[in-house]
Amino acid sequence: MKIRKKYLLYVLAFSSAILAALLSGIDVVIGQFLKNPLILGLSIFYFGFLMAIIFTGFFSISYKGKSIGERTIDPSFKKIRFPKKVEIKYHILSGAGNAIFTIGYFWLLILIKDPSLVLPFSQVVILYLVIIESITEKNTPTLIEIQSSVIVTLGAILGSISLSGTISLESLVIVFLVINPGWALQSIYQRKIKMMKINNRPNDSLNIRLWNVAFACLFTMVFVIIYDFYSGSNNFIESLYAIINQFGWLSLVGIGTFFSYIFYIRALGIGKASVTQAVKSSVIIFTIPVSIVLAYFGYINPISTDPALIIIRFSGIVLMLLGIISFALTLTKAYIFIKMKPGYPIEKTMQKIWDIKGVNRVTAVAGDYDFIVKIHTRTLVKGYERILRKIESIEGIKEYKWQSVLKEWENI
Amino acid sequence: MINAYILIHISPGNTDKIINQLRKIENIAKISVVAGEYDIVARVQVKSLERLLKTTDKIQMIKGVSKTTTQVIEKEITL
Repeated sequence: MKIRKKYLLYVLAFSSAILAALLSGIDVVIGQFLKNPLILGLSIFYFGFLMAIIFTGFFSISYKGKSIGERTIDPSFKKIRFPKKVEIKYHILSGAGNAIFTIGYFWLLILIKDPSLVLPFSQVVILYLVIIESITEKNTPTLIEIQSSVIVTLGAILGSISLSGTISLESLVIVFLVINPGWALQSIYQRKIKMMKINNRPNDSLNIRLWNVAFACLFTMVFVIIYDFYSGSNNFIESLYAIINQFGWLSLVGIGTFFSYIFYIRALGIGKASVTQAVKSSVIIFTIPVSIVLAYFGYINPISTDPALIIIRFSGIVLMLLGIISFALTLTKAYIFIKMKPGYPIEKTMQKIWDIKGVNRVTAVAGDYDFIVKIHTRTLVKGYERILRKIESIEGIKEYKWQSVLKEWENI
Repeated sequence: MINAYILIHISPGNTDKIINQLRKIENIAKISVVAGEYDIVARVQVKSLERLLKTTDKIQMIKGVSKTTTQVIEKEITL
């Protein structure tokens, strides 16, 4: 089946966002019983790992030569496996990112309680992603990227103004120094793992998730044990008790989180990390009904009906949506077909083309042309200034043809 | 695995029909409608050169496709 790549990205990212919003509500409920973020985070990781093993195991079952997971969730999935040597380095980094993010998130959730205030703050990660992508993915941010991420960030801040009108310093520190750096670390390295080829086929999201949780659980466990040792507390023991006492809620979170991540990782494999994150930001809209339900049942303070505050939050949400949409719609793609003069080294020229910013893929081909280059750029002006001029300056190029991509379908 | 780009020329007025036909062909991994000298660029992933021939054959059988040029990928650097 082939569907428009863009739509698939949206479907996956939105499903992930809706699930995440529902989960944030359950997190608040569990937070009523487990008031320490370390215990809460660790016990959720136990269940996350358990559910990941159970589901990945289940999806490994073969039926008529193809595993269930391969048929339903991810065509590149074969069966449950240990991480390869090349993946381990990235798994360690993205696992650490997940651990940092999760503990920070629960810390904030226990502090503020209302998920429709906590989640908008995690969207600031888009700023971090644009900065990191500009360093690692050879892609200088364009004006539109900077604009959109600033709009999303400001929108998030406006949208999250507490309905009582206060923002504490502690929560700001958690947001900017713990939650978002952790999330950015995880996104970047998870994408790197997703882009790897394992046994000559694309890497699958089920095994990536399984080992991400495994490493994150391990990191949190080690951290909690060390913390317990120095502070004399016994969080680790209490997290084991929580397994028995909160079994129902925790396993529900385990299952939901697993699927929310599977969708998110699949989306990451399709779009750039910042675009995927932009779409997933819609989670803040979905948390509003969740918060209203929570307030109705008395888990959090009732939602204020002060018109001024409602207008501020509404503007925040509109800003975020605008930022998200302009992010997703302004990417342009193109192919450049290149013919070379005889007598120039292919490998060296290939490397020179690859070094140009905005080049996503270089292929040396046999046929009419010598290279086919895939370009991703935000504006056509930049395509000329940054890319064609550089290509023209490479020695040995006889002829090139620019083909702008108008529409694209991809096999999923 | 053999990867190749197939550059397709089509006669005007058939784009949508041809794309629908292309989407049914199994070995095509990506279809891009482009503006420029060609009309459609398809990326194909096949097990052998024989399969590649079969795939290009299928593409040429589509009504409205006037010419195809196959470019077999020898080496690739990608993000």
